[in-house]
Amino acid sequence: MFRNILKKGRRLAGLGSLVAALTLAAPAMAQDKEPIVFGGSIPLSGVFAFAGIHIHAGLTDYTDWINSQGGINGRPVQYVMEDTAYEVDRSVAAFKKISGSHSPATYYGDSTGFMKTIASELNSQGDTLMSGASFATALTDNEQYPYQFIPGPSYSQMFGIILEYIADQGKDGEMPTVAFVYSDTEFGKDPIENGKARAAELGIEVVEDIVTKPGSVDVSAEVLKLRRVRPDFVVFHGYVLSPINEFMVQMRQMGLDTQFMGTFWSSDKLIIDKMGADADGYMGVMPYNYYDSEESGPMLDALRAQAEKSDPEAGYRPTGYMQAWFNAMVWTEVVKRTLDAGKELTADNMAASLASIEDWDTGGIIGIPVTVKDMSFPVGRIWRVNAEAGRYEPVSDWIHLD
Amino acid sequence: MDWLFFGEISLAGLAMGGLYALIALGFVIIYKATRVINFAIGEIMMFAAYLFLAFAGGMELSAWIALPLAVIGGSLLGGVIEKTMIRPMLGESPISVVMVTIGIASILVGLVEFIWTANPQLLPSFLPREPVFIGPLYLAPKIAYGFLIGAALLIIYLLYFRFSRGGVALRATASDQAAAYSMGINVRRVFNMAWVFGSLAASLAGVLVAATGGLSPQFGIIGLSVLVVVIVGGLDSILGALIAGVFIGWLETVAGAYLGGEYRMPATFLVLAVILVIRPYGLFGTHEIERV
Repeated sequence: MFRNILKKGRRLAGLGSLVAALTLAAPAMAQDKEPIVFGGSIPLSGVFAFAGIHIHAGLTDYTDWINSQGGINGRPVQYVMEDTAYEVDRSVAAFKKISGSHSPATYYGDSTGFMKTIASELNSQGDTLMSGASFATALTDNEQYPYQFIPGPSYSQMFGIILEYIADQGKDGEMPTVAFVYSDTEFGKDPIENGKARAAELGIEVVEDIVTKPGSVDVSAEVLKLRRVRPDFVVFHGYVLSPINEFMVQMRQMGLDTQFMGTFWSSDKLIIDKMGADADGYMGVMPYNYYDSEESGPMLDALRAQAEKSDPEAGYRPTGYMQAWFNAMVWTEVVKRTLDAGKELTADNMAASLASIEDWDTGGIIGIPVTVKDMSFPVGRIWRVNAEAGRYEPVSDWIHLD
Repeated sequence: MDWLFFGEISLAGLAMGGLYALIALGFVIIYKATRVINFAIGEIMMFAAYLFLAFAGGMELSAWIALPLAVIGGSLLGGVIEKTMIRPMLGESPISVVMVTIGIASILVGLVEFIWTANPQLLPSFLPREPVFIGPLYLAPKIAYGFLIGAALLIIYLLYFRFSRGGVALRATASDQAAAYSMGINVRRVFNMAWVFGSLAASLAGVLVAATGGLSPQFGIIGLSVLVVVIVGGLDSILGALIAGVFIGWLETVAGAYLGGEYRMPATFLVLAVILVIRPYGLFGTHEIERV
């Protein structure tokens, strides 16, 4: 508050014009209104901290940016978070604490486990809309999770986008073959059954289906299985880095010309940074433009400017940052639509506002207008690693699933 | 039955089992000499692998300089842990000592996250990349060369324990601490030596396993897989650790290949359950083992 008064005072003195002073003071005056709270259970430590710190940065930067734009309908935005170490019980405790003290309109959940666990409480409270790090297919069940949405395609929808791309690569009437490789976790298994069903619809044969134990493991036996079926494509899911590198390196050592693809959390620059030249040709499905892509748009430019302003030394911002920013963008849009309709910020009203999003221009964060379907944004694009350039480059148009 | 496939799978499993045997050896050396079940063995492996990353990746030293430095660093860590945290626990109940090792594991995870962050890492590639063929059987080069390096250390250890003064002192202490003490053996020094040697074996295995499967602060969980190996082989049996290590590595791989990755762990735990029923002290362990 004191800072705002100082800011206002400086602006008044500097401009020396009543009109200008009134204009420029408007955002600051907005800060006096009741804030709209974005809450968050954020994994700043623990196994997901590599993404959590960027998620936190994305939410912080977005909040600063939206406040610099006058907040939402003149109301300031406040971001309140707690570190959860990616543990469900701590995420739940953080939610209860933040809900009790700040009544957040929207909330960032750090895991599928947390979002499923908190669902009944969220449903009974009825005043918070939640999204977060999870792209779990289960969350598209509007009956069970009416107040939770996915800030992009679900994992099953990601597989759908990948399979559409693979189907497009078929030549002379022959469909490519595919193998699914996934971790033995809830995360890993999420899209497999739907992926197989979608592959069958598209006429793509799933020639192998490999589950790996989570953690640091030797996968040479699994590679031997893949050598026998020689898939044209291998789709990974449920990993961040390892064992994707081992599959790629070993299969290439065997002389296979298989192409490798992955979903959101295994399609960040980490793969390029850690694998170097071995990452070349790896493809990922990504619903957002990469921070260092050649794409642009008013919101994407604003994101880059804010990121640069908040930490000029940071350079590239990972996909977790982009994802967090997009989450907050959706929250803003939903809150704005609800307030514009003269309704209260209840979970029901906000969920209805979310469902009303159709052909929404995200200002370049996503390259085409998007429409919400089953509380998700079923859109994405296939990007391929150019190891020499050290970045992902688009190899498909934007694919919006019906 | 595709025998070529079975042969290749078995070879991969046996090679991986060799690395399990090396970790198990580290576990057994410490237990045999000091009667401490070291639940931090996985984290000591992890720490050594991060040291390798720092030397070979961060400082850009040659991998063949970084490897011994990392292994020595890991073994010194074991020695320091023994001297500062385990030795003061002498005479306390085994449960208390086990809890200390679990605490050490947590501290090491926190330390690694603090220094190297929680980001997943890959070690700089340092093993030959050309495919290895044994007859018609393919073997992934990292596994093949990792096995050879691990086997070399195993042989050095076995010779050392058999023929050197230090090795005899260690075996004497393991057989009967009071008798060893009365014969003038510095038992405390032997305890420290056991931690240093045990951690050295684990550290080498840590770098080799991380070179294959990647590295993260959760890497130490592999220590739990090896716990199965040492219980099956016998907590105080070096021979048991070697045989059970190779066997469990083979079983895990074959079960994963034929039944699916989700059956790797159930297969090994089934063997563990059967062994515990038939021979509670392990295949090659002695009856005096005090269970905690």
